Amino acid sequence: MKVCVFEDDKIDQLYPLTFLRPVFELRCGATKLWEKIARFYGKCEIIYRMREELVPVFGKRFAGANNEGAINDDILFINGRMLVLEGKAPPLTGEEEIGIKSDSVVFARLKKEKASKAAGNIWIFLESIKHAVPAKETDIPVISFPWDLVNYNPKAIEDDFMASGGGSVKGEIHKLACVYGDENRIRVAPGAKVHPFVVLDTTRGPIILDESSEIFPFSRIEGPMYLGRNSQIMGASRIREGTSIGPVCRVGGEVEETIIHAYSNKYHDGFLGHAYVCEWVNLGALTTNSDLKNDYSSVSVHVKNTAVDSGSTKVGSFIGDHTKTSIGTLLNTGTVIGIMCNVVGSGGVAPKYIPSYCWFLNNAFSKGYGFRMQTETARAAMSRRGVSLAEEDIALLKHVHEITKDDREEAVRKSRMQ
Amino acid sequence: MEGSVEERVKKVVSKQLKVQPEKIKNESDFVKDLGAESIQSLELVAAFEQEFDITMDEEAALDVKTVGKAIDFIQNLLK
Repeated sequence: MKVCVFEDDKIDQLYPLTFLRPVFELRCGATKLWEKIARFYGKCEIIYRMREELVPVFGKRFAGANNEGAINDDILFINGRMLVLEGKAPPLTGEEEIGIKSDSVVFARLKKEKASKAAGNIWIFLESIKHAVPAKETDIPVISFPWDLVNYNPKAIEDDFMASGGGSVKGEIHKLACVYGDENRIRVAPGAKVHPFVVLDTTRGPIILDESSEIFPFSRIEGPMYLGRNSQIMGASRIREGTSIGPVCRVGGEVEETIIHAYSNKYHDGFLGHAYVCEWVNLGALTTNSDLKNDYSSVSVHVKNTAVDSGSTKVGSFIGDHTKTSIGTLLNTGTVIGIMCNVVGSGGVAPKYIPSYCWFLNNAFSKGYGFRMQTETARAAMSRRGVSLAEEDIALLKHVHEITKDDREEAVRKSRMQ
Repeated sequence: MEGSVEERVKKVVSKQLKVQPEKIKNESDFVKDLGAESIQSLELVAAFEQEFDITMDEEAALDVKTVGKAIDFIQNLLK
């Protein structure tokens, strides 16, 4: 029996977060979606299938991405958008069945005879056999839109905390730091440091500080919260409940129910709430997003060129990889910013949708510096953290630059008509 | 549209960079002589596109360093 994690046709509902990574690489809680799947199915062999353009970048990290690892066994197909939470996931063994939520296949357990017919795009194959296998509605959580990750995040942190063994202190908590609440709800990994005058509040959830992370003085951290490897919380910060910060980030100011994927900086003051920030993002000082409308109505978000009602009153920003904001940038509720954007605050609130590779300055869209110069800027930013930009990465960036071209040109054109 | 390409380019440059028209020569360097900041270079490209109703390749346009070269660049696009 094998597990095969696949991407389906809904990955574009999660743009810009999924432009540069498979959907199962998204973070929710202390871990990514694929890590939760791998943890649940233990030693079972898992293969991963993803969009063609992602294979050169992720092929070496995920078994089966290059279409190796033949599907010649009984297979449990798992949608890469599935979120394993509170031990809820389809069992490995059992009769053939398909689990459906809305119109998406969440999982399919197939015997070798049927499974071995799967070739190329797994999602298309599963759609084709949907009516030949007993189907049932499933209540297993699935990530359909960017705000789902944020909404599930507090629970996912709790879940990851318990799944990884609960509380322990192997790093340092300074004697002048204060744990407010249950001390067993803290995990401090080796090399992690909590400086004096830091308050760790575990009354509403656990706090996980991963290896070599650091919290500087006068900060207040509320659980559930996850701080990734080599990340830092700057002095006098307020990190509110439900926040996950991936590896190698520097974060300051006020952050609430937000996921910062990895390698991103929000060094200075400013509020970030109910947001998902991808990699290599830099938010300038006092960049602030709204996450609640003044009339308390639900927030709409730009998804695939339409405004989708999130059904939630608390929705912040979704910010793509390599995007930068200037000092004093103000972002509206439900703002979506693509990859490689540059948003310059001009006193007002930035538009709710900024296509990839666009610059927004002086209240107008522009095409920015172009692909080559922005790639060089990305290379410089990454080298500061000892990460190189490979040819495969550049090819993927080029792909996104191409598929977002029309959006970008439309934004510039409309902007000039105003 | 009134005026030659040269006159219109210089008018756009004057407006965008807030430089008196008589100070704008063909050999004027946007950065060294006219004080254009990096962001203003982007605004200049946008303003040229709007003035002449053309689309300029961002990278090629930002490689243009002088007013005279900008005139040549735009004249070529208008051919």
